[in-house]
Amino acid sequence: MSEDPSSCPAPTNAEPTATRSTAPMWIVVTTLTLLFLGFVFFDKHSGWFDARIYAPYSSAEQLEAFQPKSGAAAAAAQGKKVYEAVCGICHGVDGLGKPGQAPPLAGSEWVLAKGINRLAHIPLAGVSGTLTVEGKEWNLNMAAMGAALPDGDLAAVLTYMRSAWGNKAGEVTADDIKKIRADIKGTQPMTGDQMKSMPE
Amino acid sequence: MKNGFAVFFAVIVALGGSWLGFVVAPAIQLGKAKQAVILNSTDTWPQQRTGEATLGLQIYRANGCAACHTEQIRQDGVAAEVTLTSLGKSKPEDLKAFVRSLFILPELATLTNDLAATLKDWKGDLPATILTTSDKAVADAFADRLKAAGAKSETRVVAIGADLPRWGVRRSVAADYLYDFPVQLGSLRVGPDLADVGARLSDANWQLLHLYAPKLSVTNSAMPSFKFLFDVRKIGSTPSPDALNLPPGFAPAAGYQVVPKLEAKELVAYLLSLRADAPLYEAPFSPITSAKP
Repeated sequence: MSEDPSSCPAPTNAEPTATRSTAPMWIVVTTLTLLFLGFVFFDKHSGWFDARIYAPYSSAEQLEAFQPKSGAAAAAAQGKKVYEAVCGICHGVDGLGKPGQAPPLAGSEWVLAKGINRLAHIPLAGVSGTLTVEGKEWNLNMAAMGAALPDGDLAAVLTYMRSAWGNKAGEVTADDIKKIRADIKGTQPMTGDQMKSMPE
Repeated sequence: MKNGFAVFFAVIVALGGSWLGFVVAPAIQLGKAKQAVILNSTDTWPQQRTGEATLGLQIYRANGCAACHTEQIRQDGVAAEVTLTSLGKSKPEDLKAFVRSLFILPELATLTNDLAATLKDWKGDLPATILTTSDKAVADAFADRLKAAGAKSETRVVAIGADLPRWGVRRSVAADYLYDFPVQLGSLRVGPDLADVGARLSDANWQLLHLYAPKLSVTNSAMPSFKFLFDVRKIGSTPSPDALNLPPGFAPAAGYQVVPKLEAKELVAYLLSLRADAPLYEAPFSPITSAKP
């Protein structure tokens, strides 16, 4: 073996080969920085990955601003809430009342009266004795369930009663309740006859 | 293999990355989701389905309904509407003049054209929506000014988009699917979206008729008839109380009746349980309450 392979001239039609070289550091750093900034931008415009934030909202503040907190819808919801906690126990969440215990409110002439004077007296003063509701006589003993409620809540409850279960009557305001509350003297519940002698 | 370790490492990174992103991260985010609370209420959302409706989901799945129907309502934006509910002591003309005097306010600059057009058409009837804007703060400030002028108004939040309000009142959110297994999101809309179909078409009888003969309610419907969910039976001494009331052309031969099978009833129970109509914190809107007298 006299021939030394390294001394051979390289063949002219040899396959080209690739060599390795490390990527320049500045490209790596710039790419990572751009990626990071991109993700930050993306997160910033989608509420920082909060599970409660969906498009079209882009931040918690924006979502908070669009929460409906006032108006008739909120008042009706508040009325329903208070009704179910206080009145619904006896009068039923469907407003149909309980036989022998609480008269119905759905379609009741006391609830649907033009004025709210008599209606507001019932929860503010309480009722005892006989009262005719929808042509049926009831022997009642209702405490002043609404006396402890704030004016706004009681107004919301009465408004709810007058608009729920097919009832259609006007709205009751906190000012109405304030006036009627000031009228009530003593702590005795009113009798059915007293109720009837009052203006509507 | 020359670069065995590099390939192995790349596969681990690719699969592990997608597992972290598509399985672990959503599980951390929503895996412990509980019922949501409906806005301005103590009621929770959604309610667990009845047993019949839960079985109906499997009928929905077995019949491939998700191939043509989606259960996801999209929302493109949100608007705040100021609706006048009472004028107080002022006349419509006074209020119009008052609102026109507000046109110089910078926050109303982009809305003056719409406002002027609305005021021109408004004859004083109530309730009247007079301002629609995508900025809640502007709507609130406008409502405050109306209040100062003695008029009462209500600021309503309305979800808007191509799917709304024809298929729902708000977008679908994760809470809506709490009791769906498997979730029937769907990806193609040959038929309408069904995320809120229980609220839109709440008549069980309509749903049964529609499953039996889709062309009965929509003449050019592409939906196939699901006749195999129904029995065509001979009428015995008395007709079945469940029998469909079909018009001529769809009715079976005289002396026969079409009675839904258990599967059809379960499927309809499931369809009626599909609702996305409660306002939630993550998808707020002002529900339409019963009209005031």
